[in-house]
Amino acid sequence: MPSDQLIFTVTATVLVVIGLGSMAYSRNLIKTVMAFQAIVFGANLALFSSGLGSYSSYMSQTFVLFSILVGASVEAVALAIIVVIHRKYGTLNPWEIRKLKH
Amino acid sequence: MLDEVALLLSAALIVTVVVALFSKSVSVSLISLFYSSLLLGIIFATYGGILVGLVHVITFAGAVSVMLLTVVLMTGESKLMVGRRELVLILTLVSIPIVGVASYEALEGLPQAASQPTIPGISTLFQFIWEFRPWDLLILIMVFAASMVAVVNLLSSSRSSR
Repeated sequence: MPSDQLIFTVTATVLVVIGLGSMAYSRNLIKTVMAFQAIVFGANLALFSSGLGSYSSYMSQTFVLFSILVGASVEAVALAIIVVIHRKYGTLNPWEIRKLKH
Repeated sequence: MLDEVALLLSAALIVTVVVALFSKSVSVSLISLFYSSLLLGIIFATYGGILVGLVHVITFAGAVSVMLLTVVLMTGESKLMVGRRELVLILTLVSIPIVGVASYEALEGLPQAASQPTIPGISTLFQFIWEFRPWDLLILIMVFAASMVAVVNLLSSSRSSR
């Protein structure tokens, strides 16, 4: 049976890979923000699992706390930009926005 | 026993994130992302990070989910996509082990917490941050304030340009 740390590290890697793949595949800006959130989840889980069962547990939890708040701030700004883009261009498809720009 | 719980929670987390990112309906994605936020909070809380789990659930399952829902309703994206019925079924199947594990942990953890009063509490982590990472805390507060100013500025400038 693999240890908890290994399970969580593998899960975090899978989350980051899925998030990056979805971010590249997505044709909707809201889905892109959701993919970013999945990447943040993976990063938080990796940081948390790095301190499991060791004396540096508090340090890793501190970094997870900071990562959560920074991720939420970035996501709030991204959602505000999405609202502005929708008001200006009327669509959330990045390819259509690129066409409308020129 | 904790290894099985980790495996189950990790599998459920991956499934919910995959459903959230690859479903066609934005509404299903929102619900699934909410579930995955709750799951990650349960993982943190189960493995000793009670404060981290609490902050994670409050931030992502609370604030960010509401912000996403507001943006989806404002932009009308929920009407544009067609949902899939099987994804709702997957979500239902995923939610059953989540509730099971959560209730098991709640039932199992209560007597242990009563018999072990030396578990490090939330105040210990706060004390650690205050003593050893004060500059990081200051930078974090500045980043958070700057992001809020940026959000207000973006939304107010778009309103005045209409």
